Amino acid sequence: MAEKLGVAIVGYGFMGATHMIAWSMVPEARITAVVGRNVAKAVESAYKYGARAYGSLKEALSAEAVDVVDVCTPTYTHKDLAVEAFEAGKHVLCEKPMALTLKDADEMIWSAGKADVKFMVAHVLRFFADYAKARGLVKQGLVGEPVIARAQRTSAAPPWGVESWFLEQAKSGGVTVDLAIHDVDFLRWCLGDEVRRVYAVACTRGATPGAMLEDHVLMVLRFRKGCIAHVEASWAMPGLHPFTTSLEVAGTKGMLNLDNQSTPPITITTDKKVERLNPETRPWVQGMPFPIDPYYAEIRHFATCVLEDREPMMDGEESRKTLEVVLAAADSGRSGKPVELSVEV
Amino acid sequence: MKTVNVAILSFAHFHAYSYARAFKELPNAKFLAVSDDDVKRGKAAADRFEADFIGDYKQLLKRSDIDAVVVTSENVKHAEMVIAAAEAGKHILCEKPLATRLKDADAMLAAVEKAGVKLQLCYVMRYSRPALMVKEAVERGEVGKLRVVTGTNRLRRFEDSWFFNPALSGGGAVMDHTVHLVDLMRWYTGSEVERVYTEIGTNIDKSLEVEDSFLTLLSFRNVVIGSIDGSWSRPETFYTWGDVTLEVLGSEGMIFLDAFKQVAYTCLAEEPKNPVQWHSWGCDVDKEMVADFINCIVEDREPKAAGHDGRQGTEVTLASYLSAHKGKPVTLPMQR
Repeated sequence: MAEKLGVAIVGYGFMGATHMIAWSMVPEARITAVVGRNVAKAVESAYKYGARAYGSLKEALSAEAVDVVDVCTPTYTHKDLAVEAFEAGKHVLCEKPMALTLKDADEMIWSAGKADVKFMVAHVLRFFADYAKARGLVKQGLVGEPVIARAQRTSAAPPWGVESWFLEQAKSGGVTVDLAIHDVDFLRWCLGDEVRRVYAVACTRGATPGAMLEDHVLMVLRFRKGCIAHVEASWAMPGLHPFTTSLEVAGTKGMLNLDNQSTPPITITTDKKVERLNPETRPWVQGMPFPIDPYYAEIRHFATCVLEDREPMMDGEESRKTLEVVLAAADSGRSGKPVELSVEV
Repeated sequence: MKTVNVAILSFAHFHAYSYARAFKELPNAKFLAVSDDDVKRGKAAADRFEADFIGDYKQLLKRSDIDAVVVTSENVKHAEMVIAAAEAGKHILCEKPLATRLKDADAMLAAVEKAGVKLQLCYVMRYSRPALMVKEAVERGEVGKLRVVTGTNRLRRFEDSWFFNPALSGGGAVMDHTVHLVDLMRWYTGSEVERVYTEIGTNIDKSLEVEDSFLTLLSFRNVVIGSIDGSWSRPETFYTWGDVTLEVLGSEGMIFLDAFKQVAYTCLAEEPKNPVQWHSWGCDVDKEMVADFINCIVEDREPKAAGHDGRQGTEVTLASYLSAHKGKPVTLPMQR
C-alpha cells in the first residue's frame, strides 16, 4: 500500500461529488482517479482533487495507485463495477442500494470474500447525528421495549441523477428500493431485530404501463420480536415540499420523535422567499447543523476499517438483509400479498 | 323556533358529558332525561345537567316528550339501544363505532329505515374546521386527483375503564379509532375501502386484555392507497390527549392536516408529571356536531355522517381484526 489510500471514485454525479468532498477531508486518503462515461465531466471533478479522469474503471485501475473503489453510479451498474474492483483486489465502498436483486448482491458478497477485501454499502443514515442519537436512546432502553415505530422520507421527484435514472423503475427499483431502504436499514439497526413479514401498497405513475414508476410507498414491517413499523417513502411530493424525514419509536416506557422540519435553527425571510438557512450545500441535509458531516463520518468509518483491517458496520451480509426487506416490500406492493421473510437458524 | 327534546341513554362513554353540555348550550334543544344502568353515574349526570333520571332506558323511551336520544353506552350495547330507540320513534345520535358486529350494524340500519328516524354517527371530525378546510380544498381540486391518504389518531393512554374489557368494547385500539380515520378518508376520496391489511403489535401496556397498537394499510376502489395508525401509543405524560393528522397527497399537491394544533401551551412548575400541556382554542367539534344533529331533525335532512357511514367504518374495523388474525389482506365487502 502506498503512503496514502488511493481512491478511485466511479461516478461524478450527485453522490460521487458528495463522496469526493468527504474523501478529500480524510488525511490518510487521496483521490487518484475519477471514472465516468463522460470524460469531460469526470475531468472537471478530477481537476478539483488533483486526480486524473478515466472513461472506465479498467483504465483507472491499470494506470493509477488504487486501494479503494468507491462506486457512486446508478444502482443497476453497481454489481459489475464492484465485482470488477474485487477481482482486481480492491476494497469497495458502494452506494445504496447495493444491487437490484439478491442474486447480484450474493455475487458481490462472494466476490468480496474471495478477494479478502473490505466491502461496505453506504447506508449513510447510520451516520446522521439525529438518527444515531435516536438509535442510542432506544438502545439505552429509554422508551422501553419498542412496540410501534414510524419512519417517513418524502420529497419531490429527485432533481439529481444522470438523465434522471432514478425515475426509471428498472434502473433504480423505484421509491421502495431506492428511498425506503434508508429507513428499513435504520430500523433494523435501531431495533437490533430482523423483519419477519412485510406488506406494502404503492402508487405508480407514468405514461405507459411498461414505464410505470413506483413513486410513493406505504409499508408495514413486522419484526421478529414483535415490533411493528410504518415506513413511508415518496418522490411524489409537489415541487415546493421540502425533503422531509421523521421518526417515531413508541415503547413500553415512552416514545421518541425526530423530525427534520422542526429542527432547523434559522429561517431567513425576505420579500421574495422564506428559506431555512442551509449551512451545508446538499439538499437533504438542508438546515440541519450536524456536528459532523454524515457523509464524512461514513467515509471516515470505511477508511478506518480499511487502514486498521476491521469489518465495516454495513458489510455485504448486513446490507443484503436490508435489501432483502425492500425487495420483499416491492414484491408485496405488486402482488397485494404480504411476504414472509426467511428466518435464519 | 322548533325545539328538540333530548335524552342520553348511558354515560358510559365519557363523550356523553361533552354532548350533554353542548345540548344545554343550544337554543333549540332541551336536555330532559338520563338513563344509565350504572345508577350512581346516571343520577350524578342527571343532577349535573338538571335532567330527570330514569334507570331503565326502555322506560325512558316510552316518554312521548322525548324526540331524540344519544346512545353513549359501551360499544356492544349500541345495537339493542339503537334498535329500541328507532322502534320507539326517536331520532338517534350514536357514538362511534356504530357496532361491534356487522350483523348488528345491518339490523340497526334496517330498524332505523323502517321507523323513518334519523341516525347520526358521532364522527366528530366531520365538524372539525381544519378537517372541513381539507375537504373543501380537495373539492376545489387544489391537489388534483387523490393518490395517498395517511392518517394517525394516536391516543394518550387513559385510565382503566370498559374500553379495556373486550366483552363491552368489542376490542381495543383498532375498534376505538379505525372508524374516525376511515370516515375522513371515505369523505375525502368519495370512495370505499377495497382491501385492508392490519398488523397488531405486542402491547405497549402488557396488562391490557385488548390491543393498544396497530398499523393498517388500505387500498381504495379508486386506487387511492392509505394507512391508519390509531394506537394508544402516547405515554401518560404526553402534552395532549392525542392527535388527528392526515397527509393527503394528490397529483398536483399535498395537504397536511394536524387537526388539533390550535393550542396554547403551558409549562407549569407544579405539574412535574405533565410539565408541558396543550390547551385548545380551536373549534368545539362536539358542539358543532350536536347542533347539526338537532338542525337535521328540525329541518328534516340527512345527517352528514349517517348510519351507512357507521356501517362502513365497522366493516373496515372488523376486516382489520380478521386480517391481523390471518396475517393476510382482507377484501371488502366482507363475506357474510
